[in-house]
Amino acid sequence: MNTTPKRRWPVIAGSVTAAALILTGCSAGGGESSDAKTITWLVDNTENTITYAEKLAEDFNAANPDIKVEIETRPQGGDGDNIVKTKLATGDMADVFSYNTGSLFQQINPEQNLVPLTSEPYMDNVLDSYKPVVTSGSEVYGVPVGTGSAGGVMYNKKVYEQLGLSVPKTWDEFMENSRKIKDAGIDPIIQTYQTTWTSQLFVLGDFANVAAANPTFAEDYTANKVKYATDPAAIKGFEHQEEAFKAGLFNEDFASATYAQGLEKLVNGEGAHYPILSFALPEIQVSYPDKINDLGIFPLPSDDASKNPLTVWLPGGVYLPKSTQNVEEAKKFLAFIASKEGCDSQTEAVGANGPYLVEGCDLPDDVPAAVKDMLPFFEDESKNSPALEFLSPVKGPALEQITVEVGSGIRSAKDGAALYDEDVKKQAQQLNLPGWN
Amino acid sequence: MTAALKRYGVGILAIAVTVVLFVIPLLFMALTAMKDRREANKLEFSWPTNFALIENFQEVLSARRFMLVTAFINSTILTVASVAIMVILAAMVAWVLQRRRSRWNPLINFLILSGLIIPPAVVPTIWVLQGLGLFKTLPGLILIEVAFGLSFCIMLFRAFISTIPRELDEAAVIDGCGPVRLFFRVIFPLLRSVIVTVIVVQSVAVFNDFQHPLYFLPGDANATVQLTLFNFQSQFTTAYNLLFMNILLITIPPLVMYLFFNRQIVAGMTAGAVKG
Repeated sequence: MNTTPKRRWPVIAGSVTAAALILTGCSAGGGESSDAKTITWLVDNTENTITYAEKLAEDFNAANPDIKVEIETRPQGGDGDNIVKTKLATGDMADVFSYNTGSLFQQINPEQNLVPLTSEPYMDNVLDSYKPVVTSGSEVYGVPVGTGSAGGVMYNKKVYEQLGLSVPKTWDEFMENSRKIKDAGIDPIIQTYQTTWTSQLFVLGDFANVAAANPTFAEDYTANKVKYATDPAAIKGFEHQEEAFKAGLFNEDFASATYAQGLEKLVNGEGAHYPILSFALPEIQVSYPDKINDLGIFPLPSDDASKNPLTVWLPGGVYLPKSTQNVEEAKKFLAFIASKEGCDSQTEAVGANGPYLVEGCDLPDDVPAAVKDMLPFFEDESKNSPALEFLSPVKGPALEQITVEVGSGIRSAKDGAALYDEDVKKQAQQLNLPGWN
Repeated sequence: MTAALKRYGVGILAIAVTVVLFVIPLLFMALTAMKDRREANKLEFSWPTNFALIENFQEVLSARRFMLVTAFINSTILTVASVAIMVILAAMVAWVLQRRRSRWNPLINFLILSGLIIPPAVVPTIWVLQGLGLFKTLPGLILIEVAFGLSFCIMLFRAFISTIPRELDEAAVIDGCGPVRLFFRVIFPLLRSVIVTVIVVQSVAVFNDFQHPLYFLPGDANATVQLTLFNFQSQFTTAYNLLFMNILLITIPPLVMYLFFNRQIVAGMTAGAVKG
């Protein structure tokens, strides 16, 4: 081996370099040079989102021919959160991006990463009820895109008609209705625990009732002054889920059914109630367009018939990261999103699945029946409350596992609530909230 | 009867297990890909009542401005380039490590092992790539795939090279062969079976990789095939018929590869298994 002539080594070095050069030539895509400026918009990859995002981009380009908007997508859920955080941390974020509001928004360090929009003229168009969920410190950072949604009980109106039932205002009426439905041979309450997130609705969708009973609950909860297990109003959500299970009101295959199967049951009238988010409407509209108007929605009932408020989910925000080079163009685009033209363009693309949070945006007359059911609650502020995740950064990661246990009778409501209080503790400490250490 | 059972029983059992584990999922995939959306959402193992194979195919192909086509091109370049680099570099490293004993060997072995053990961190890797101007480029991702696959390849090659007699090298050197020629003319051709193993294992790994393209190669123009799956699946709405059609389409290339290289793969697997 010692006879190795040294001069051979450059040959290898040379061939490796050559290979690298060839590979560099293979890179996909390429810059196009034209007068039009291009800004990028990162959105999540829901069919619904992409459809309206592309329409918005197209209409915006028609109004501003010198600016082109390119859509980039990211997954939802945990992967999506990581992508957004990674991109912000490395300064590689798109020129504008859509992301959740409320507690998840607080976790991306708005003050450090985003351009405040408080003094922008188009912020006047944004409804005041939306601003708190995109505010950090004293600045507002986002404009709403998409429509508001609700977490409540979606029900089959045909079943209600057949059995001569009326929409329940209290929990007792709800249980009464459910028993009658069961006697008629229809599953009263659909639960789908294979898709774990759907199990949380009894608790999350009940929050408007909690807020009605105790208006400062969210603040006190963030400050570690109230607990789910000890607050009499808050534990109701867990208790109701337990009660419904004990009364045998769930569909037989609740433990293994999926979200898609739950929707199918509801649409076909095999089940009457499905506590779910109104995010399900776009899916139903695509899969069962002929039956969408058979469905209605009502708030999860409490014991107090006089209040009966709806828990609402506010739409995601569009934010402007500090890393963007095209601030002017991006701001123009945000202004377009937060305008009547922006809403109309979204309605045209995907229909309206709930009310918009932009001033002057009307809904067309042919919105689904469930959306019509939601509207009165949105119009009167005393009849709705944003879900807890919009009001408090404290949300434990294990709620869906706990509610599956409670809903399957494995754990009692009291135990479940106490376990959830333990679960949020870690997260609150991680966020360094006062009162938790 | 019992004799026949003894003779064929195990074989029949093996076939049954194969059918359950491999054929049924594949069949389920194909059936769902043929259904229309409403039927597919039930996720049932049933014959489709309403055939929508062509429609699904067209829709998947044209979704997001023919993203799948771009994705196939990108994935092909990515897989071919990174596997080629891995094979050549890993064989070289393994050969030197195996043949030339020095006091650096333990350190190098430790580095190779740490390549297998230490999990990659996303943000620092992006910083490095940005510093090199390789972030969001295909060459950048190729280098990442090479980095993550190299350790495993080196180990496979080293185990195999130890079975090649050293006398071959010595004879070639005596005949006046330089190291580069020695490697490419004498050693490399002898590695054929293990090269096939590495190619198969690593192409499947790179082709199926989801996480690295997701983080290191963002943007629709840069999508790889695995990322296109996300076009049809989300938390609140999922088009299972399109999702499974997409899965079916991107399963075909690895499947074809296995069909063609079946014999070499089996030979390569056993060749690499010899202890050195």
